[in-house]
Amino acid sequence: MSSPESDPVGAPSHDGHRPDVNGSTVAEGERAIDIENLQVTYADGTEALRGVDMVVPEGEFFGFLGPNGAGKTTTIKVLATLLAPTSGAVRVNGFNVRAESQQIRESIGYMAQETSIDPELTAQENISFACEAYGVPRGERAQRVSDLLDLVDLTDVADKTAEEFSGGMQKRLDAATALVHQPPLVFLDEPTTGLDPKARNRLWEYFRRINNRGTTIFLTTQYLEEADQLCNRLSVILNGEIVVEGSPADLKRRVGGEILDVEIDTGGGAVDRSVAIATAFEPFADATVERTETGISVTAETARTHGTELLVALRDKGITVTGFNIRAPTLDDVFLAITGEHIEPEQAADEEVSR
Amino acid sequence: MSASSSESTASESLSGDSAAEVAVGPTAERSSNTFFGDVWVNFKRWNLKAVRNPFVLVVSLVQPIIFLFLFTEVFGNVAGEAVNRGIPGITYETYLVPAIAIQVALAAAITSGVGLVNDIENGMYEKVLVTPMNRTAVFVGKTASEVFRIGVQITIILGLGALIGAEIATGVMGALGIIGVGILFSLWFVAFSNTLAILTRDQESTIIGANLLQFPLLFLSSAFLPLGILPGWIQTFARLNPVTYGVDAARSLMLGRDVMTVIELTRFQSVLDGVVPGVAVLAAVDLVFGAVAVYLLSRASSSDVK
Repeated sequence: MSSPESDPVGAPSHDGHRPDVNGSTVAEGERAIDIENLQVTYADGTEALRGVDMVVPEGEFFGFLGPNGAGKTTTIKVLATLLAPTSGAVRVNGFNVRAESQQIRESIGYMAQETSIDPELTAQENISFACEAYGVPRGERAQRVSDLLDLVDLTDVADKTAEEFSGGMQKRLDAATALVHQPPLVFLDEPTTGLDPKARNRLWEYFRRINNRGTTIFLTTQYLEEADQLCNRLSVILNGEIVVEGSPADLKRRVGGEILDVEIDTGGGAVDRSVAIATAFEPFADATVERTETGISVTAETARTHGTELLVALRDKGITVTGFNIRAPTLDDVFLAITGEHIEPEQAADEEVSR
Repeated sequence: MSASSSESTASESLSGDSAAEVAVGPTAERSSNTFFGDVWVNFKRWNLKAVRNPFVLVVSLVQPIIFLFLFTEVFGNVAGEAVNRGIPGITYETYLVPAIAIQVALAAAITSGVGLVNDIENGMYEKVLVTPMNRTAVFVGKTASEVFRIGVQITIILGLGALIGAEIATGVMGALGIIGVGILFSLWFVAFSNTLAILTRDQESTIIGANLLQFPLLFLSSAFLPLGILPGWIQTFARLNPVTYGVDAARSLMLGRDVMTVIELTRFQSVLDGVVPGVAVLAAVDLVFGAVAVYLLSRASSSDVK
């Protein structure tokens, strides 16, 4: 539990007003991120981003999803001034990524996909170093360090070197160091990968709190539940292009209806026959039918009202239905509908996307 | 989260704090950091790391100390005679200490590149690039920490040398001069180990590459025996080896006379005849290797697509 009297993750300002970091027009100031036609082509000819457009208003909790290699980390690196765009106009906190990278670095927090901490320094020293690197005023440093340690639950091990920490503890320490200067905009590149559910929940709470105080958050994640829980708005990137954008609820509506999962006795080509039956089933004119491990999954507007009729139809054709479930679509269904594949956290954790 | 009441307390105290920040703003707040402030921050960090890292301590201090004692004990009598034929009246301890000082500089320089590779591997390199710190200051701070460590370590070697009977003929000024020569010598190898680090981006390759060079560089020079009694091919190599220039300059200061073996200078009629040519050659070598390393480092930290 963090101490209620002192909050290390302060908002950049109170009552929703953010400091006018760019000093220019209000319209620009309201956009934390403004990307027009961003393209990044690597030296080997790989087109990592092929014309990305994106606007993230200040204060938003924005989620950026996509399969591995789609361009998520490349986009974040451009926004964090680590990678220069091949073409396109990119403004962060009102500053141009090419000409005003210094101002951007001062006004953002960045948590890289790979845990980035100094293993030879203690938890306390890691956060102190970040405070000094970001120019946190001397008088505020000690308090900021102890508040952040408390918040990420590392107070007890503050004087232990980070190499002794578990992966989850290191990730929490990394998160703390990204926020020492209370930036108005924070980039979190898969911040909870590899964390246990308790640690993940704690970080979520932390991210929500800084967002509630007006900090814009740009999050990429492999966990669709995380995006669903946290984000006001999502973008899905595929092969270097944004393919869909909207609130989690919007995106789920786009799946088109509800989902009927049917478990069957799969022996003797039963799944093939079931797919054929479901596809031809008239009350589900607009249905999409998927094979699953245990049977089929049907997405249709009328899944709830006509679902039982399908079950009867299946039984009539000699298929043994062992279970069924009608549910609202999840983001995983959205992801599947858009990208044609499930997001696989386990697999994603193995493949390092370091570009 | 405990209770919602504690939440609201937190937000209240928070908005109170941040009211001050609105006036200041992130950019103004940041202006407290200067170039030298950034150098200092990084200097402190690398000093802490050096103290914590056993590899750094063993490679760059314990190993040379072992050399100092083994060489003087095992080869002291034999080598002492050989040395005395060239430079009468000095002990092998006195002859060897400047060479060990240079060895310390060489070994400590290897750890510079290793530190850089570790930073790249554990993400700190990129993390620092995202901060508003001046990038030149970041590198200067790290190098300053290594140079400082080399100074401390050479001082320790000189002290141990004095304990086992080595004499610094030029006194305290000479000792400071030896430290200065050691630091000047170290820079080209600091640059070289950083170059290896950026090119390989791999800790083992950097350690192996730099360590593999350490012993040939030391033995194929005037470090352990006078060049005159070494085989011809070694003499040829030694004349091209920066270690010879560093050792001869440091040794001239140690003995209080010109013992520079490669370049004959008589202009100053003093110990400077032995020091100045060595310093000049080392400065030139530093510039060449330094330029390569700076070029590679700035390319590695630039945001241009690769």
